[in-house]
Amino acid sequence: MGTKVIKQIAIYGKGGIGKSTTTSNITAALAEAGYKVMQFGCDPKSDSTNTLRGGDYIPSVLDLLRENARVDAHKAVFEGFAGSYCVEAGGPQPGVGCAGRGIISAFQLLKQQEIFEELDLDIVIFDVLGDVVCGGFAVPVREGIANHVFTISSSDFMAIYAANNLFKGIKTYSDKGGALLGGVIANSINTDFQRAIIDDFVEKTQTQVIEYVPRSLTVTQSELQGKTTIEAAPTSEQAQIYRQLARNIIAHTESKVPSPLDSQELRDWSSDWGRRLIEEETRPRRKARPRRAAALAS
Amino acid sequence: MTIDLNDKPLPPLVKTNSIEQVRYPCSIAAMHSVSAIPRVIPITHCGPGCADKQFVNLAMYNAWQGGGYGGGAVVPSTNASEREVVFGGADRLRELIGATQNILDADLFVVLTGCISDLVGDDVGSVVREFRDAETPVTFAETGGFKGNNFTGHELVARAIIDQYVGPYDGPKQAGLVNVWSLLPYHNPFWRGDLAEIKRILEGAGLTVNILFGQHSGGVAEWKTIPQAQFNLVLSPWLGLDVARHLERTYGQPFLHVPVLPIGAKACADLIRRVVAFAGLDPAPAEAFIAAEERIYYSYLEDFTTFYAEYWWGLPAKFAVLSDSTYNLALTKFLVNQLGLIPALQIITDNPPEEFRPAIEAEYRTIAEDVSTEVEFEEDSYIIHQKLLRTDFGHKPPIIFGTTWERDVAKGLKAPIVEVTFPTTYEVVLSRSHVGYRGALTLLEKIYTTIVSASA
Repeated sequence: MGTKVIKQIAIYGKGGIGKSTTTSNITAALAEAGYKVMQFGCDPKSDSTNTLRGGDYIPSVLDLLRENARVDAHKAVFEGFAGSYCVEAGGPQPGVGCAGRGIISAFQLLKQQEIFEELDLDIVIFDVLGDVVCGGFAVPVREGIANHVFTISSSDFMAIYAANNLFKGIKTYSDKGGALLGGVIANSINTDFQRAIIDDFVEKTQTQVIEYVPRSLTVTQSELQGKTTIEAAPTSEQAQIYRQLARNIIAHTESKVPSPLDSQELRDWSSDWGRRLIEEETRPRRKARPRRAAALAS
Repeated sequence: MTIDLNDKPLPPLVKTNSIEQVRYPCSIAAMHSVSAIPRVIPITHCGPGCADKQFVNLAMYNAWQGGGYGGGAVVPSTNASEREVVFGGADRLRELIGATQNILDADLFVVLTGCISDLVGDDVGSVVREFRDAETPVTFAETGGFKGNNFTGHELVARAIIDQYVGPYDGPKQAGLVNVWSLLPYHNPFWRGDLAEIKRILEGAGLTVNILFGQHSGGVAEWKTIPQAQFNLVLSPWLGLDVARHLERTYGQPFLHVPVLPIGAKACADLIRRVVAFAGLDPAPAEAFIAAEERIYYSYLEDFTTFYAEYWWGLPAKFAVLSDSTYNLALTKFLVNQLGLIPALQIITDNPPEEFRPAIEAEYRTIAEDVSTEVEFEEDSYIIHQKLLRTDFGHKPPIIFGTTWERDVAKGLKAPIVEVTFPTTYEVVLSRSHVGYRGALTLLEKIYTTIVSASA
């Protein structure tokens, strides 16, 4: 313990893009490699850590806070696959109260009771609800919480819009001691064309792809068993990709301020790619080679 | 000559984002507009301290008016905490309304929401509707602090009671019945006496008066007759106009807007004649009332003139008014027209909506037949005091009409001061009035007692 610095990362992305799936596989891969890792789900649905727990839901911090004003934070920490720790912030019923404030309350409870230090964690991974709709969802970006932010995006334009919005949030907090951007986890990338879109976006916004993750049936099969791919199909090609992603994240040290596109630039950029997409559809599709980003070769 | 407190150059007058020494609280302070209606009690759904601060602000350190039957320390509050922020405060509010129904004896409860509830979006309406069959009816107004000040809150409360409690009406109108929308209860420390005098004058003119707030209101029974009124009278530069427009849309009631709250015989006679003409009443009883009031009023004024003429060397010639718009305009009109004083600085401090400001400015440009003056709008006491220090009042100090915040500056200027609006800490006010015929005489007593007692 003592002066040990806990690596804290936040993973954002559009809803349904595969955030919790990817995050849980990163957590599983790191736990399997011997790291002391906690996955902290910041989504009122409280389902971020399900696949680390055999498909089980766990009581959230806010479930406990709802019952009692004074809560022992240990009761919100559950063990998952390979000794990983699982926490769900939780939230109010949909349409009631303030979920953003709920995330702040949940995080503060664990921080006040020094749970991260007590568990001697190496890394905490925050899995945050898709869009940064208010201050509460920006908590992990703000000073003193996450050190690095990663965003998951497919080549789908709506996912890229969400990523660009996140970049704006990061830029806002960047001169106030907030977390900086580690890079983009490119998810569901199965063709060269999809890869080209993501590559162009990260170039325009001055960031990098941290790993390309293809869409795979193995992931779906694993999830149906209530497990991560690391656990359910440890020798699969997909599990190797998740392990590589986890290694890249643990090795990552230098995050940067991104250069988000403004509304007009984003519109122009997407309409240009839209045009190319139409041209592309007239050609036969090729499968992308499963390779890592050149920038991360070291 | 510019009077300088310390003979040092005055600092530059720069508007900042901060306000020093506030001149109005936030909209949930309209809980006082609720408790100003006899036997109506506010229920506050807000964080701890909100209701208490408004009570201490407006009803304690403001003329020590007290809480009355259902105001002040009686007001129930949900005291919303972090739990109500995260999970919503509907359950807590439901519990509080239920408990209040059991404990407090009232004719109507009005729920006022604070910032927490309005920000997290509590569905207060649906909670309140659950009590539709309760012994005491319940209404609600969303008065989160960011909605505006207590003037805004007052109109939100009035509209909430009208829409949710008074309800639809398409029956006949009662000729000669008028609803009066005028001073902001509690904010103006003299509202109780002033509304009583306004009611007396309008009744003298031949009208039946729904005064709606204060000891002379008939409470909720009176509010129920609002739709039956022949018309609405808005007796202030702007407060009440939105309510009157709403009533025009809802019940097809016309309204008469008289910006000048009448102080003294001249303004009273003007008001009575305008109201009588608007209502189409027989002017004879009104003229008889005016004559009778003026006989008494001017006989007192005759006695006063002996003092006023002989003590001229010790009396201020110029005046400054730093107050909410209703009292500011009313006082300026009276001091110019009935006492012949010279307006030197008029600052309106209640932040009237922009749409009303040109009309208010026009009133000051025609303050008398031969007198025109300018009015300014300012909320920050630092700026207000700097303007006071920069004004040329001639060779004698002016008389200042303002608040407790002006005490130190007045002392520096060696100027007498009369506290007339929030906060008025150095006055204890019960039924005293400054308006109408009788209130004008009380005001004269107050002004010149303050002046002559300075040398005591």
